Amino acid sequence: MKVIRSKGPEIFDIELEKDLLAKNRSLARENRKKLDGLNILAIDIMGSIGSGKTSLIKAILKELGMGQKVAVIAGDLTTTIDAQRIEEEGARVIQINTGKECHLDAHLIRQAMKRMKLEGVEILFVENVGNLICPGEFPLGAHKRLVVVSVTEGPYTLLKHPYIFKEADVIVLNKIDLAKAMKVSLSKLERDAKQVSPRVPFIRTDALKGIGISKVMNALGLEL
Amino acid sequence: MHEFSVSSEIVRTVLDTAEKNHGKRVLSIQLEIGELALLNLEQVTFWIQELFKGSVAEGAKIKVKIIKARISCGACGHEGKNSSGQKDLFQHLIPLSCPKCGSTQIKVEKGRECTLKKIQVLK
Repeated sequence: MKVIRSKGPEIFDIELEKDLLAKNRSLARENRKKLDGLNILAIDIMGSIGSGKTSLIKAILKELGMGQKVAVIAGDLTTTIDAQRIEEEGARVIQINTGKECHLDAHLIRQAMKRMKLEGVEILFVENVGNLICPGEFPLGAHKRLVVVSVTEGPYTLLKHPYIFKEADVIVLNKIDLAKAMKVSLSKLERDAKQVSPRVPFIRTDALKGIGISKVMNALGLEL
Repeated sequence: MHEFSVSSEIVRTVLDTAEKNHGKRVLSIQLEIGELALLNLEQVTFWIQELFKGSVAEGAKIKVKIIKARISCGACGHEGKNSSGQKDLFQHLIPLSCPKCGSTQIKVEKGRECTLKKIQVLK
């Protein structure tokens, strides 16, 4: 901080140069360091409300069959519905209720990691708050970021929200079984994804039936 | 969409700084916001003004400088504006390809800032 006297004896300019998003980025780096130290692979799952984030995590947990070696941080505004659904698969779960906040941030993840028992955990999933806008700007320290988009969101989601898809390491198109009913073209959505994020794996899934899940796991580096 | 939390953080920093420096009043604050930051300026200034009410910063002038976006291309080395001349609306916000060679290997060099540059206080 630099204080400079200016314009008269009692007026001072205080130079701050404080980047407000930088604080989150530095906390995210600290989270990553802690995760690396514990040898935990962390995956941030983002996507709209109702896109199938929880269903996708459940499907992956089922395939992994690793029980308490997997932990999940479930972000939600007020309920514990997602945490309960995930608990059914035998993973350790911690719920973060953000209240009115529209995204998780690195600080909330740091607090959650302090509260949870991480010994013996090999994989950590973070289910972000349902939102395609804010989470993109707030890295959490995860090694991989996955965005789920579902057919029921209509044909334009990828083009309307390119930012979050550009941030993603894996894009999952869920609910492919509903494409006909929704009159949505899967290949059009795939073309949109390639336009926004050409080098990012794009995987079609039906999470409830377990279709495409092994490909998602491959893309995330979760070999069985 | 996270304008409220970003604004709260700005307000907290301004008031802390004013207190530490024994400021009686905050006269103005200066922000730099990148045009690619996902922040609506009207909302940000509205929330700052609202949150300043009842504090030493009530009525402070809020100056905002917009930082123009600049990208660099990993394929041809081009550095410059993000506009590619494509007509899609979102091109203004998120550059997808290099305006020179069309490669998608681009990196945003500038335009995502959200910086509290300085504040002016009356002691």
